Amino acid sequence: MPGPRIDDFEDMFENSPCGYITLGVNGRIARVNKTLLEWIGRSADEMIGKRFSDFLNMAGRIFYETHIAPLLRMQGFFNEFAIDMMAAGGEPMQMICNALEGRDDAGKPLFTRLALLKATDRRRYEQELLAAREAAKNSLANERETSELREQFIAVLGHDLRNPLASISAGARILGRDAKTEKEHQVVAMLQTTVTRMAELIDNVLDFARGRLGGGITLDRNARKPLEPVLHQVIDELRLSSPGRQIEAEYAIDTPVDCDRTRIGQLVSNLVGNALSHGTASQPVRVRAETEDGLFKLSVANGGEPIPQAAMERLFEPFFRGEVRASRQGLGLGLHIASQIAKAHEGVLTVTSTPEETRFTFVMPLR
Amino acid sequence: MGVIERNNVHVRGSADRTMVFAHGFGCDQNMWRFVEPAFEGEFRTVLFDHVGAGASDLKAYDKTKYSTLEGYADDVVEIGGELGLKDAVFVGHSVSSMIGVLAAQKAPGMFGKLVLVGPSARYIDDGDYVGGFSEQQIEELLQFLEANHMGWSAQMAPAIMGNPDRPELGEELTNSFCRTDPDIAKAFARVTFKSDNRGDLAGVEIPTLILQCSEDIIASKEVGEFVHRGIPDSEIIILEATGHCPNLSAPDEVIAAMRTFV
Repeated sequence: MPGPRIDDFEDMFENSPCGYITLGVNGRIARVNKTLLEWIGRSADEMIGKRFSDFLNMAGRIFYETHIAPLLRMQGFFNEFAIDMMAAGGEPMQMICNALEGRDDAGKPLFTRLALLKATDRRRYEQELLAAREAAKNSLANERETSELREQFIAVLGHDLRNPLASISAGARILGRDAKTEKEHQVVAMLQTTVTRMAELIDNVLDFARGRLGGGITLDRNARKPLEPVLHQVIDELRLSSPGRQIEAEYAIDTPVDCDRTRIGQLVSNLVGNALSHGTASQPVRVRAETEDGLFKLSVANGGEPIPQAAMERLFEPFFRGEVRASRQGLGLGLHIASQIAKAHEGVLTVTSTPEETRFTFVMPLR
Repeated sequence: MGVIERNNVHVRGSADRTMVFAHGFGCDQNMWRFVEPAFEGEFRTVLFDHVGAGASDLKAYDKTKYSTLEGYADDVVEIGGELGLKDAVFVGHSVSSMIGVLAAQKAPGMFGKLVLVGPSARYIDDGDYVGGFSEQQIEELLQFLEANHMGWSAQMAPAIMGNPDRPELGEELTNSFCRTDPDIAKAFARVTFKSDNRGDLAGVEIPTLILQCSEDIIASKEVGEFVHRGIPDSEIIILEATGHCPNLSAPDEVIAAMRTFV
């Protein structure tokens, strides 16, 4: 039985792997190939003489009239138009359509040829992409909103937590003035220690939350004001709150340090607080601050058991807590915040730990 | 950026009277390429793109302003003010018909005559009123627009939009006449097909010509006749042309009909 010949153009038109429609100059269907008729389950008689848009869904018709027909007239072709053709049973059939306008020498339109490809899978894929993009957009908007709320919450929380603490501190000061017995003095000192510690915790928690959710640690640098008095004050406060412990401090700052003094104070407070918690009480905590070779260096050292190797790697991670007695147990944010402050100053915070001493060193460029 | 750049306004010729051409939903001022040249010389002609379409300034697209046809009409009045228009002819295609109806009332004296090509005062059926579409079908259109990006790509936009002085850059790209940011296309479709300007027709006090195609699924004959009945001093001409864009498919017929009126 002879099948179709390879050069049979009539067969190529009718049984092509894509659908063909030819529109006359009046925009009406003049010819449809077999492939398309089979796809949409219609007969040629049904389609010839009708407008192409009669076989599209309403959205497709509007789009055809407002975009495709004008474009065909203006640029003579249209490629990759996604349409739904209505099959005989009324169900939509997703297709991709290319169109070409045939013109005479004067540019007058003679006919329009449409080539159509089934695109059910492709369209499903596109729709899934669109849906995914929409979902991502919505979830991002939600996240932003939540994050904004969180930041507001943090700001309010910080304010509300600091206020009562200030009252407790003021109350303890008043009581301290009239304290007579040894026991009364001890209680007042304990109150002050707790207040200082609590204030540190609040600062660290707020910084951490802000750093994670907001724009990171922001600096208010000022090279004109001296750093040393700030360090003095921080260390004096720590001495007061840890009466049984010795803190030795050495200063050799002979160049102005362009830094955020409050933040550096917080860094020192966190490092010394850490040394007091983990170091042995029988040896002093040694603080040294100096400017040298264009660098500002600050180190805090303590004696006692060295930090285990496994812990060394995770020291600066948030919420990391080593073995420590319950009364000094913190949130594990102190060293993390200190390292973030160092980073914000384009500096580094490093640690060495041997049986002789554990030393944290902060180094930043003087600029 | 001034209104001339914002709306990609092109002025040709220098006659006493001016004719302003406004394109509809879908493409840009190129929709008038076969009609506008016929009036050059006799009229000073003005072509422009609505903000969001063609080579208009996309940065000027304001969601709130352009959520009603009033926003587009304000732009027309602004362009008219900039060019010092008096007693001009406004030719609006499709949705720009109603934009013209609004603009004519916002700035009395600016326009002396209106030509409305394929106008509809409301596309969605409402009780006895037949607009031709259901609410559902318009929602489907909005979905459908997402499937046809018209070759829009955010990466290409700067090349098209950033060179208003070199429009050929944009025109070389496929589908550029109808290319729109998909979000803007959707918003423009929404304002176009969801508007109801039936109440604005009676306020038109200038002579108005309605050009109605014989077979137009976007704006049917009934819809055109409704506009004709609504505008006091109006006449309607039924064109032999079919489809929604006689300005492209049957420019000669459109030009002839306009000549009898202007």
